[in-house]
Amino acid sequence: MSDRKRADGREQVTSSWRVGVLALLFTGAFAILFFRLWFVQLAAGPEWLEEADQNIVSSEPIVAPRGDIVDRNGLVLATSVPGLVIEIDRSLLPVEVEDDVLQRLAAILGLSPVEVREAVERTPSGEVAALPEFEIDADTAYLIMEQRATLPGVTVRALPVRGYARGSLMGHVLGHMGLPSPGDLERLPITDTNTPIGKLGVEREYEEFLRGTAGKHVYRINPEGAILEEIGTVPPVPGATVRLTLEVEAQAEVERILIEAIALSNALKETQDEDETDPDRTPPPTERATAVVMEVNTGAILAMASYPTFEPQLFVGGIDVASFEELSERQAFNNLAIQGVKPPASTFKAITYVTAMEENIFPEGVSTPEETIECSSQLAHQFEDDSPHLWRNWTFPESDGPQNLHDALRRSCNIYFWEVALSIWRAFRDTDREGMVQDWARAVGVGRPTQIDLPFEHYGILGDRQLFEEWRERQPWRVRAEGWLGGDLMNLVVGQGPIVTTPLQMAVAYASMLNGGTVYQPRVADAIETADGERIRTLEPRVLRSVDISPETVASLRRDLTSVVRSGTARRAFEDLGGLVEVVGGKTGTAQSFTDQEGVFHDSTAWFVGVAPIDAPRWVVAVMVDEGGSGGAVAAPAARAIFQYLLGAEVTPLVAGEDTER
Amino acid sequence: MAVLGRSWDGVGGIFEDRPRPTPDVIVFVLVAALMALGSVMVYSSTFVRLDEETGDPTSAMRRQMIFAGVALVAYVAASMIDYRLYLRFPVLIYSLMMIALIVVLFAPPQKGATRWIPVGAFQFQPSEFAKVALIVALASLLTRGAGRRLSWRRLGTALLMAAVPGFLIFLQPDLGTMLVVGFITVGMLFAAGSSFRQMLVLGASGVVGVIAVFQLDVLRSYQIARLAGFLDQASDLQGVNWNLYQSQIAIGSGQLVGRGLFQGTQTRLSFIPSQTTDFIFTAVGEQFGFIGGSAVILAYAILIWRVLIVAAAAPNAFGAIIAVGMAALLSFHVFVNIGMTVGLVPVTGLPLPFMSAGGSAMIAMASGLGIVNSVWRSRSPVSDRPEARDL
Repeated sequence: MSDRKRADGREQVTSSWRVGVLALLFTGAFAILFFRLWFVQLAAGPEWLEEADQNIVSSEPIVAPRGDIVDRNGLVLATSVPGLVIEIDRSLLPVEVEDDVLQRLAAILGLSPVEVREAVERTPSGEVAALPEFEIDADTAYLIMEQRATLPGVTVRALPVRGYARGSLMGHVLGHMGLPSPGDLERLPITDTNTPIGKLGVEREYEEFLRGTAGKHVYRINPEGAILEEIGTVPPVPGATVRLTLEVEAQAEVERILIEAIALSNALKETQDEDETDPDRTPPPTERATAVVMEVNTGAILAMASYPTFEPQLFVGGIDVASFEELSERQAFNNLAIQGVKPPASTFKAITYVTAMEENIFPEGVSTPEETIECSSQLAHQFEDDSPHLWRNWTFPESDGPQNLHDALRRSCNIYFWEVALSIWRAFRDTDREGMVQDWARAVGVGRPTQIDLPFEHYGILGDRQLFEEWRERQPWRVRAEGWLGGDLMNLVVGQGPIVTTPLQMAVAYASMLNGGTVYQPRVADAIETADGERIRTLEPRVLRSVDISPETVASLRRDLTSVVRSGTARRAFEDLGGLVEVVGGKTGTAQSFTDQEGVFHDSTAWFVGVAPIDAPRWVVAVMVDEGGSGGAVAAPAARAIFQYLLGAEVTPLVAGEDTER
Repeated sequence: MAVLGRSWDGVGGIFEDRPRPTPDVIVFVLVAALMALGSVMVYSSTFVRLDEETGDPTSAMRRQMIFAGVALVAYVAASMIDYRLYLRFPVLIYSLMMIALIVVLFAPPQKGATRWIPVGAFQFQPSEFAKVALIVALASLLTRGAGRRLSWRRLGTALLMAAVPGFLIFLQPDLGTMLVVGFITVGMLFAAGSSFRQMLVLGASGVVGVIAVFQLDVLRSYQIARLAGFLDQASDLQGVNWNLYQSQIAIGSGQLVGRGLFQGTQTRLSFIPSQTTDFIFTAVGEQFGFIGGSAVILAYAILIWRVLIVAAAAPNAFGAIIAVGMAALLSFHVFVNIGMTVGLVPVTGLPLPFMSAGGSAMIAMASGLGIVNSVWRSRSPVSDRPEARDL
């Protein structure tokens, strides 16, 4: 429009459409703002609110005191004690002074700076490193607090720390603590890598109960992370108490007797050394032994000792490398009762005995347990395969006269049991009845897990045709090309050759056979209780399976095991039991000495497995002295002492029993 | 071209027949309300910290209320002064502005920038006043010969007039304010009748300018980092995007009705740096939610609408162009400020008019609105025609 004057005479200023365009532009811009606001607050609002809540809250865990472990009578074995622990908040520790601070700290703790640095570096920078291995006493804590100005980020905190009240007593059963490994973090529902967990024994097996639930302090924080106020506290739930079936007193006695047995074994070796002509066969000193006492009718373990042992307390706050290596060298962490696998030797004859009675299979020409054969010094048999044909009865260099099944068990006559094996071989070779001895062994608990409530149980080996076939497929170096032979069965029926068991497996086997065929799961825990002593869970005896054994066989086995200690291979060892010998029965075993592939001589391993009272069995005792010599001479006296304790008699010192079965 | 007064028939027609010597009450009420809300928001985001640090939780709010009071006085004063007076001293106004912008460059730097001249207990920020001064000075230039086609020469003069203070502001550095200056200038040129071709050339040179800025490496590293952070808002939440991230947490967590006055954790616990100044809108968003936030946006929309009405109803080109300049100034500030708190535009330090803590911006903008109000009053037949005063 060319007219610049408005009707009222005022000058024309600007065109209205231009203002309109600007108005549209601004309206558009504000509409965008409006919709963006709608999106942020209403569409995405809930997510932002969550972030706002996370922004202002920080929590600090409160470690739950670990549950106690007590014995059958409530005596404390492991507990939680208030301890002082060093924490390093790496976010408060400037990197440039880190070295200096750690060096000063190491000096106060009397450690090398390298050790301290390694411990700190387990935690990513910027986080709090708790160092449970640096448990400190009050004096050190004061020293650190005094020097706080030169130790930025270093604080001392009170934390519950594991304490073991009785030194190394029951060490293997209790186990020990340690910081979780990557595997533990996968296995357990835990994320805290700074809190120790059970690594072995009951500490490991019952971790979920003992651990408790951590609590937390919840704080409101500012953007710098400084605490403004405490919003609330979730108190920790202390771990539950695990009550064991073991008894402190019985355990202490068994552990003492075990050490005595080792001393006895070594004393015997010294006297033998003089007679020894072959220096290559000089027996090494006896170092390891184990004994387990189990209730026959519940599976409850009353005592379980393994020597050498260790103090669980060493692991609290981290074990030092030197101690760990020294103990490892001595195999001190092995619980031989469940991990020491050895040929059970003649203790296995009780299983062959039951097989013979139940399956009615006796030496050739014999059809009842009462008929005898000559227990000669050797047995000649020509197998069709390449098995050895001449079997020396090493126990009896001279003939031991005519013996029936009962005599053979009492005298531990190999010839008789070999003849039983030959009868099986002849009658059932290559049939499914060929493994009848192994079947019986498996039924009563050999060659399979006992399922005891302790970790890392070894299952042993129970050889048969099937196992040899498997080995030939997968581990051909373990077996000869011919596979399973008659000679293997002859070895096996006397507990030698392709068979190794743990002492606990033998204890379970004897208990099952002598209680009439009930196989119990052995267990070390009796109940789970709250910290206040309220019972959460009672671990009832658990029957794994029942084996059909005739009462006659059970009665016969009991009788013959009694005669072993009265007049058989354990007679001299059990002399000190006096009249009580009437109520005890058991069997000695001596696993043959051998020289291994590296030329190292291994002495015989001494065994004794027995029960008492024999007519209504209550306890089964298994003793194994690794490379300890003769079962009759070393293991049987130890078992005798344990029975003295169990039967309430005075425990007399160990004296060597008969040197049998060598 | 439609005659302005006629084209707004509904509005202009009514006003032309009805003497209205009074100031625009709606604008006054809106400005006062925004100032009051701003003071409460400043209090909500400072009282916890101040109580802890000084035991005086209201000090920041009191300071803000003093500024608001001074700003309202400035608004009324500017309303009373006949805006045509400024037509006599455009050079003086422009020179005073230039002097202030040069002097500030020699002031002690704060937070890495020289934007403030200390005056006693206060900080005088020349660039805030410069925007209003430039609007007046540019308007006076563009008024001459208004109604005729805007000549290329006048366009060039206007651009030069804006570019010099713009460059001085860039030196502070204050990129946000420099962009405001650019936006205002373009808006005023458009209102003053620049042709389509001239706008096209302006747009093209703007694009060239942006490319040149990046090519010549004149941006500070923090400016580039903020831009990069804006383009990838999920990155570096603990660093360059901390502000944007915490700001969105605050606003987002307000949801529909907000977390309640003094209940917002982000605001109470000072999670948002510069919350009382550039990020004051986050306090509204967190505590009053979408309802409060959109109410504030609506208030600014009405305010700007009123200013545009003045532009349309202005009795002369000078008043109309001043009003357009002020509308552009307010719109840009509101859009960029709120936009950056919700992640719509990159973080730039522009205050939210009448709400952000700080005196200079508040007083300068209130004065600007006062001038606009003066235009509003003068358009009335009453003020134009002395004989009508008897009515």
